[in-house]
This record gives sequence, structure tokens and C-alpha cells, in this order.
Amino acid sequence: MTGRARARARGRPPGQESAVPSVGAASAQQTLPSQPPGFRQPQQPRVPPSVSGDPGSRGRQRGPQSVPQGLQISAGFQELSLADRGGRRRDFHDIGVNTRQAIEHVQESKTGSSGIMIKLTANYFRLMSRPQWALYQYHVCYNPEMEARRLRSALLFQHEELIGKTHAFDGSILFLPKKLGNKVTEVFSRTRNGEDVKITITLTNELPPTSPTCLQFYNIIFRRLLKMLNLQQIGRNYYNPGDPISIPDHRLMVWPGFTSSILQYEESIMLCTDVSYKVLRSETVLDFMYSLYYEVEEQRFRDTCAKELIGLIVLTKYNNRTYRVDDIDWEANPRCTFRKADGSEISYVDYYRRQYNQEITDLNQPVLISQSKRKRGTLMPGPVVLIPELCFLTGLTEKMRNDFNMMKDLSNHTRLPPEQRKREIGRLIDYIRKDDNVQKELRNWGLSFDSNLLSFSARVIQAEKILQSGNVFDYNPQFADWSKETRGAPLICAKPLDNWLLLYTRRNYEIANTLLQNLFKVTPSMGIRMSKATMIEVEDRTEAYLRVLQQSITPDTNIAVCVLSSSRKDKYDAIKKYLCTDCPIPSQCVLARTLSKPQTGLAIATKIALQMNCKMGGELWSVEIPLKQVMIVGIDCYHDTLSGKHSIAGFVANLNQTMTRWFSRCVVQGQGQEIVDGLKACLQTALRDWFKWNKYLPSRIIVYRDGVGDGQLHTLVNYEVPQFLDCLKSIGKDYNPRLTVIVVKKRVNTRFFAQSGGALKNPPPGTVVDVEVTRPEWYDFFIVSQAVRNGCVAPTHYNVIYDTSSLKPDHLQRLTYKLCHMYYNWAGVIRVPAPCQYAHKLAFLVGQSIHREPNLMLSDRLYYL
Amino acid sequence: MDENFEEEQFTGIIKFTPPLYKQRYQFIKDLVAKYKPKKVADLGCADCTLLWMLKFCSCIEVLAGLDICASIMKEKMHRLSPLPGDYLQPTERSLTVTLHHGSVAHKDPCMLGFDLVTCIELIEHLEQSELKKFPEVVFGFMSPSMVVISTPNSEFNPLLPGVTLFRHSDHKFEWTRAQFQSWALETARHYDYSVEFTGVGHPPKGMENVGFCTQIGVFVRKYPQASESAQFEKPTKAAYKTVFKAVYPSLKDEKYLQKAVVSEVIFTAQIIKQRLLDPLMSEHEEYNDDPTERKSKFQPSVSCFSQDLGKLVVEKGMEPFVDGNVVYIPLRTIFSFPKVNKLCGTFEKLHKLIAGKVTLSSDGSAVMFTTEHENEEN
Repeated sequence: MTGRARARARGRPPGQESAVPSVGAASAQQTLPSQPPGFRQPQQPRVPPSVSGDPGSRGRQRGPQSVPQGLQISAGFQELSLADRGGRRRDFHDIGVNTRQAIEHVQESKTGSSGIMIKLTANYFRLMSRPQWALYQYHVCYNPEMEARRLRSALLFQHEELIGKTHAFDGSILFLPKKLGNKVTEVFSRTRNGEDVKITITLTNELPPTSPTCLQFYNIIFRRLLKMLNLQQIGRNYYNPGDPISIPDHRLMVWPGFTSSILQYEESIMLCTDVSYKVLRSETVLDFMYSLYYEVEEQRFRDTCAKELIGLIVLTKYNNRTYRVDDIDWEANPRCTFRKADGSEISYVDYYRRQYNQEITDLNQPVLISQSKRKRGTLMPGPVVLIPELCFLTGLTEKMRNDFNMMKDLSNHTRLPPEQRKREIGRLIDYIRKDDNVQKELRNWGLSFDSNLLSFSARVIQAEKILQSGNVFDYNPQFADWSKETRGAPLICAKPLDNWLLLYTRRNYEIANTLLQNLFKVTPSMGIRMSKATMIEVEDRTEAYLRVLQQSITPDTNIAVCVLSSSRKDKYDAIKKYLCTDCPIPSQCVLARTLSKPQTGLAIATKIALQMNCKMGGELWSVEIPLKQVMIVGIDCYHDTLSGKHSIAGFVANLNQTMTRWFSRCVVQGQGQEIVDGLKACLQTALRDWFKWNKYLPSRIIVYRDGVGDGQLHTLVNYEVPQFLDCLKSIGKDYNPRLTVIVVKKRVNTRFFAQSGGALKNPPPGTVVDVEVTRPEWYDFFIVSQAVRNGCVAPTHYNVIYDTSSLKPDHLQRLTYKLCHMYYNWAGVIRVPAPCQYAHKLAFLVGQSIHREPNLMLSDRLYYL
Repeated sequence: MDENFEEEQFTGIIKFTPPLYKQRYQFIKDLVAKYKPKKVADLGCADCTLLWMLKFCSCIEVLAGLDICASIMKEKMHRLSPLPGDYLQPTERSLTVTLHHGSVAHKDPCMLGFDLVTCIELIEHLEQSELKKFPEVVFGFMSPSMVVISTPNSEFNPLLPGVTLFRHSDHKFEWTRAQFQSWALETARHYDYSVEFTGVGHPPKGMENVGFCTQIGVFVRKYPQASESAQFEKPTKAAYKTVFKAVYPSLKDEKYLQKAVVSEVIFTAQIIKQRLLDPLMSEHEEYNDDPTERKSKFQPSVSCFSQDLGKLVVEKGMEPFVDGNVVYIPLRTIFSFPKVNKLCGTFEKLHKLIAGKVTLSSDGSAVMFTTEHENEEN
């Protein structure tokens, strides 16, 4: 970046937009040593039909400042004392992606109207500012030029009576909560050795509370407050190390903490804060490697190690940084050397001893490699080498996640019921209110937080009726589950089991036989015609299973059922891989253990029968869907953490009007390939298949896009949506369906509490929120569709980023809720529309077990359930 | 302060590697490594870089910083806070870091009892009046065992192009070696210290006569301090304002020790339990792997762990055992593990620390686990 560009980034005085900025200013920037040489240009989202600034809200802002200004200023703030470590790296909140302005029918209102009103509170606090509040941004320059930032500060603050005690200054930009008398103020300071310096303080901007720069500023100030409260930053959030929950059985430590962000929401600027728990482990990576070494045999050790460690986040002992483990270098050890910034060679042992007094005791340990994509301080991006002995593990490994008892232990601590969660959230505001320093800081800036959680009215939309083969079932909406109600009822479409295989090991003969008997008991009422299975005993080895399958499957085989004696993944993977690719027939694997309990035998057989029926193309139930000729698409992604190279996108679209049959495909994305290219192909085949089924093309397409990370919204808007449109154009000249693209987000920090009597409860399934906590620049809403037994229910966020459907918000919300009823593996309402969950299931199976695209012969069935 | 910055930037002739300021800090670190002071104070600590480096020195238990400018200290003071790792594995040593806002011309009892006081590039920033009071405050009042004072050597200045009067605009004076040494000797004599002179930043070849770029005086108190109480009788009230204080978690603190012991005991007991149950489990549950695989899978663990265990069991009769759904692991067995042993020291201490935190058998001799719910889920 040139000095000039940098000066621009730091905000230049108005009236100089086109001219070269004042020489002094530019050269001043040039010599500031703290500016990172190649800091990334802020990624300004380019929204297709973007108009500069929507009138009204940003009226008071002057000059060319709009969104980018805010981001650029934050770049300047990176070196500021008040900026937190590392500053802002990515826009996690997708600020500046203004999609609503392009959606005509929601310009006036994006709220729905149906349903019963419900009083809710949410984990939001209003940020209050004095009336007429503004943040004043000044540019400060020195004549003669002063280089050292500290000196610049010292000289400027000789005039504290003018500037006041409250300020934020990065050596060039000055923020004040008050306006100085003149637009341009000149003052003189004297250095200690008698040199007189003229300081020119020029007002460059008067920022209204809602300006993006201010939002940035609030977040910086808020982080400063969290630090004052002695909370430790780990990753994006802040944690309290003083009072950890320890789970010694697993050497886990759980630190309670908070997520926080201050953003412009529908009506006001608010702080959204939620309880967060950081799982840390009081063992180093080396400790972990040792204990692993004793658990697995020598030749599998390295692989197992890689499997367990790659993708994990480690925390270094000597500083407060987290890194993702991308690789383990077994050839290297701590005695290896590296070249320091000054060009000298030093070994890791010596470096850590000298720099941090950290003794590395095991000189034969391998090293961990972290591919850093961004700059860290003076280090250039590139691989970072870490010493296992000096790194703590954080988070859970796959093995731990699969440990039911441990997860139970953990959730006992972290899954808070609504009342308790609200209390914990309130604690942050309490901390803030009780800390004098924090209060002082806030007061000086003229800011404060509402002491009460945000309250507002939302709606609970009508419960759906479950339609199953002429029967209509009501269910208790409170539980969002109809497994009892529909038990034993005939299915919409039952696929016969005329010719099917049942594989088992000798030991499990009894179990397999019982399963068969139970299936005979439960299938008739469902309407499934069933013949006796071809029972085949196999040796309990992967190859034995595969050989038997190879020999026994005929073109008439409906399904192959395998009773597995352990949850060994390789066997499962091999069976699935074979039956999904080389020999495409539906398959059902079931653990012997699951079947071994006599009390639950029938219930399990029922579930298995339903699942098998879906896999063979059967249909279970439906809900009323008034919208006609509509194709619903669900997309979700699976990212392979192990190799870190493959991503898999699942793509699922309905084939029929009642949304009971689905077309499923997936994209296995190679390195450097964009997932969207594959999605285009998926959409094309889906439309072709739709045409085969219906003899016409859908007039509406609604895409539910899950698996979008924070900060990726603009990529979707600018790249993926145009590709979808392109693809539709390619179908036919006259084909012009209405397209709606909705981003589905399950991981949000928003929580809602329903006030019921004196207590707080989870909001009931069907709760829709499209006011207050939504964003003004988006067409978005929240739906609580599922019911949870423990803890707090997490609402799902829906963001309509493209919409030419002209569907009323109400209709779209209800359609979305209806779709959450259609997931056949769960007789109840789920968190996301069924096609998203199907897409997730498919992507997961392919990512975990199959690793390549399954045979397209299966694509009209839910074979992956 | 950063005058080395100017040196690097403007000369092109004189360039110190590593930079001079780092050499000064390294000098202090070496001194700390040699004398192992427990309490160290840095006067004029500025952005706390030296304190930050010193906090990693394991001998130091008390670190204090003092500066006349609070905002500079506050800028980066949070890096003196304990790190997550310090909480995850508390160390034996205790460490308290405190930052004070105040002047070296004032006395404050919080600066008493230190082993080492460093004044890196400090005195040249003092006004005449402050400089006058400085010896009395540092040597007379604080009277630590050792004082290190560094200051620019003005004889070196001609080698630093761009430096006209002083190296830094805030310097009130810069001394020649003779000036510094006479001040230092006089001060040392007056307060019963001995002083030795050295420096960092070697002059270029042929110019050795100008001496080090930075001159350093190391003062050592000649006589041991009179009794501690005598110090505290010195009539002074607090003159500094505390701007930062961090107490590091340490095993010396009962709270952290207990946590560490409880967690180590449970973890150890879990491992023993697992080893005990594994053979049992594989009997009634079908581990269908081919036999060769299983053998190699379990053997290393058995050999490395249970061999020691076997020895202990034979020697002292403290075998863990299963009784129905309950596994008993004798505390003695757990105590024999090096980590537990090292943390507690004595068996009695172990008993005391885990009381009420770990489920023990009725006679208190063994850790108890029920295996019930595990079987259910496996």
C-alpha cells in the first residue's frame, strides 16, 4: 500500500477527495513503523445492485464515507492501543451485505402476521447513548513531522484541557466524544528539548451512532471493557479463567465466558451476548501423544495421531495464541533450526529457552505444523511450527465426542435451562455495572447499556397436521413429536421386502433372528409386504462381508441388512462404499448392541423398518403444502478436517408435489475447485429428473443453503446466486422460474426465552421472530422449530438473500416451518428444513465413508438415511 | 526508550545486532539467571517489555514496575496477565506482578524488600530536581541487594549520525563515562554499595576508546539488610497508584493445589480402572477384530503400565479390585504414581486434599467408581 492509499485509509479531511492529500499527512503515514506492510485491503462486499447508502439512516455522514470507511478505520485501529490483539481479521457479522434492498416485495415490511402472539425476551441489551450523541473523528498532523507515535501522543495530549480525558488516538486519527470549537484547530506543543511543533487537528467526520465506523468503535471499546474485567480472550470470545469447571476424568477444564457483538439490529444498536464455554485440556499435545502411543500399536500410531490431532486447535503455553494443527512433521524435532527475522539460525529448543524460558525436555518429539493464512505480527503468512510439549489441546477430539458418558458430563455443566442461562447472561451486564473503571470508561464516551434483556412480541404459527395415507394426525406441538401418534399407521408408500439379505456373524444369530421376527410383527400395519430374508452367516471380517455381498446380491435384491458386532468404522465404511458405488443397492447396517435389549426390540424394529422403507424409495408422511409447482432445494456442506482438502456438498431437491420423494446428489470438491460449479450440475440434473417425474418444470425454485460460514455471505451473494441464475438460463430460453435463495444458519448466538407465568421457558416450536433482533439490511427471520428436553433451544436463522418469488414473508415462513416436519428419520420437527438435513446426511456419509460420488442409480431414494 | 531505533535508522554505519534495547534486556536477563533474585522491580518500565520478559524467569516471585506515565504502561499491561496455560497447569512458583504509577523521586513502601531494582535508560529522563532525590529513594529507601542503572554514553554520540545534542528529545542530559562513574561512585559510597561498570553496544573497530554505546553500572549492597521490620518502620505512606495487579495461579495456593491433586487422582484412578476392566470387557463383548490385531492393540499398554503396577501390587498388597459394580482403587496405589506423589509429598496430605472431593470407600482407603452406567451405554 502506498503512503497515499494509507492516508486515505486513515480518513482524510473533507474537501480533498480528488486532490492529493496534504503532503504532510501522507508522509507522516509513510514513516509510521507500525503499519503492517501488506495489510489486506478490506474486503468490501460487492452487492450486485448496490446503491451507495440507503437514504435516511446515514444522512449525517459526510464525505465519501460509507461502509468501507469503517473497515478501513479498523485497519488503522489495529495498531492502536485500544485495538485488541490482532484486531479484526474477518467480518464475522457479514456487515455491509445489503441484500434486502434488491428484494422488491419486502421493502416496506418483511414481517409476517399469522399465528398467536407470544412475549419473548432475547439475549440482547440495547446500547444507549446520550441524545444527540455523535463520535467525532479528527485527523491530526504535525509540523515539523514527528515520527514516534508515543511522541505524537504526548505532544497532542499536552492539550488535554482542549481534547478532554476521553479519546482514542492511533497516532493520526483521533476519536472524541465531543466536538471541538473549530473545524480546524491549531495548537502548539513544545518537545522537551525545546522544539516547537504545530499540531493541526481537523474534523473529518461526524459519525452518527449508527455509522459502521461507530459500530466498529463500540466493539473495540467493548473488548477493552472485557479486558478490564480480567476476562481472557481465546479465539473470538472472552473467558473467565478464575472459576473453571474441571472434569478430571478426562483432564478437561471448561471455562465459562461470553460471546459478544454489538451490531445494528432492526430498531436499535444492541449488544448480543451469550454464555459460551471453552473446553480446554490440562494436558499438552505431547502428553496426549504419549498416552495414545500406549493405546495403539506402533505401526498405526502416526496415523492415529494425525487423525486425532489434525484439525484441532491448540493453545500455546508461552503466549495467548491459538493455532489449528494442519499437519505433523515426524521428520523434524525441537533441535531443528529456523531462520529468525534478523537472519540468524536458531534451534527451537534454544529459541524457546531464550525467548520464554521454556525448557523443552523431549528432544525427539515431532513438530506440529499450522498453515497460517494471515499475517501474525511481523511473521509472514506461511507454515508455523509448534512444539507439542508447549501446546495445550483445546476442544474435544472425535473420540471424546463419541464418548457418551463424557458428553453427558459435559452437557451437565454447559447445557443451561432458560432461567439459568438468562442469569448467566445477566452476569456480564452485572460485571459491567459493578466495575467502576468500566463504568467510568462508558460514561466518558457517553454510552451505557440497558440493564434489562430485550423484550418484544413474536408469533407462534399454527401447528401442522401430519397426513399419512388418508389419516390425519394431530400431535402435541409442545413436544414436536408424533412417533406415538403415527405408530402402526399405514405409510403413504410402502416398498415391499420381497427379496432381501440379512447378514450376521455366528455370535449374532439369535439377535438377527429376533430382528427378523420383530420386523414380521411391525411391518404389516405399516403396509409393508415382507418375505423372509435370505439369512447369511458371515465371518466377522470386512472382506467376508464384502465377499458375501458380492456373491448374494442380484438385480432383484431390495436391500441388504448387516448386523454388525462393533462400531468399527472401517467395516461400516467398506460396506457402504461398496453398496453406494460399485453395487448400488440400499443397505441398512445395525449394531448388534442396539438390538440386544429385549424391552426395546419392537420399537427398534419399527424404526428400522421405517428407515429401510425410506432407503428403498418409500414415503412415510406428509404435511399440507399449498404452493404448487415448487422445487425445494437443500444444500449442506461437509468439510473433511483430516485431509483438509475435500469438501463435500450435499444437494437434495424434491421430485414431487407432496415433497415425499427427493432427488439427492453430492459434489465432491477437489482442491482449488469451487463448490458452486458442482452445484450447477446438480441443479441441472435435478431439473431434468423433475421433468421426468412431472412432465413440466417447476415454476418456483426455493433453495435452502446451509453450511455457510460466518463472513461468507458476500461470496454467496456475488458468486453462487448468479451461478444459479446462469444455470436456470441454460435450461431453456423461455424457462424463467422464480428463484428464492435462503441461507440457513443453525449456529447463532441468539437465544429466546418465553415468559410463562413467573418463569422463563423455551419458546414453543413454531415461534417465528422477524422483528427487533433481525437486521434492517436483510430479509431475515428466526424460527424455533424443534423442541429440546434439556437446556435452551437454539433458533435457526433464515436469511433470504435473493427472492423473485413475491411470496409474502408469512408464506415463506410457514413453508419453511412445514419443511422442518418432513425429515423421515425423525418423527418430529427438526431444526432445519428437511432437504437441508438430508443434504447434511448425504454429505456426511460421503465425506466420512465413501469419499466419492455415489452411484446416480440411487439418486431418487434416501439411501443415505 | 527507543533511541536504538534512531541509531538503526539514521546511521547505516553503526547497526547493533541484536538491537541495542534487546541487548540491554538480555543483560538484565543474564543477571537474573546468575543471581536468581526473587523480587525484581523495574523503574521506568514504560510499555513493560522488560517485565514481560522477566515474568518467564522461574526464580522471580514478585515483579513490580513503576513509571511516571500511566498510559504507556496501560497500553500493553495485559500481556503481564496470566495466560490460559498458567491456569491449565499451575506451576510451583508463585508470581505476583504489580504496576505502579508514580515518580522515582517519591518513596512508597511497596518498593521495599526487593532483591534487584533495574533502571534501564531512566536517569537521563530525570529533571535535575528528580535526579537529586533519586539516589535517596532507590539506594537509601528501597535499598535492594542489587541495582542496575543504564544510561547513554555521550562519548559514543559522534558515531551516531543525526544525533546532534541528545539521542532522544526527552533526555535532560547524557553523560560521559567519567561523569556517570563519578556520580555512581559517589552514590555507592554514600549508601554503602559497591559498583562495577560495564555496558552494551560495542564500539566499531578502531574506535574502542569511546566505550560502550550504553553504559551500565551494577551496584551491590555491601552489607546485608538490617531486619525486615526495620524497613517497614520507615515512615512513608503510599505515594504510588497501583494500576495493575496480577496474581498467577500457583500450587502454593491451596485452592490450585487441591484442584490439581483431585484431578490427577481421578485421572490416574480412571486409567487404572480402565486397565482393570478392559480384559473383563473383551470377554463378554465381542471384539470381533482378528486375534492378531487385538493382541498388538492391547499389549503395549499392558506392558508399559501394568508392569509397574504389578510390581507395586506385589510389594505392598494394594491391588485394585472389582466388587460387583464397584471398582476400588487403593489410595496407596494412586499415591505411588510419581505425579500424584510429587504434588502431595505425603500420604496424609493426599488424604487431606481430596477429602470430600473424591468418592472414597467407607474406610477411606480406596477411590470408588461404579461401572454401572458405562456398561449400559457401551
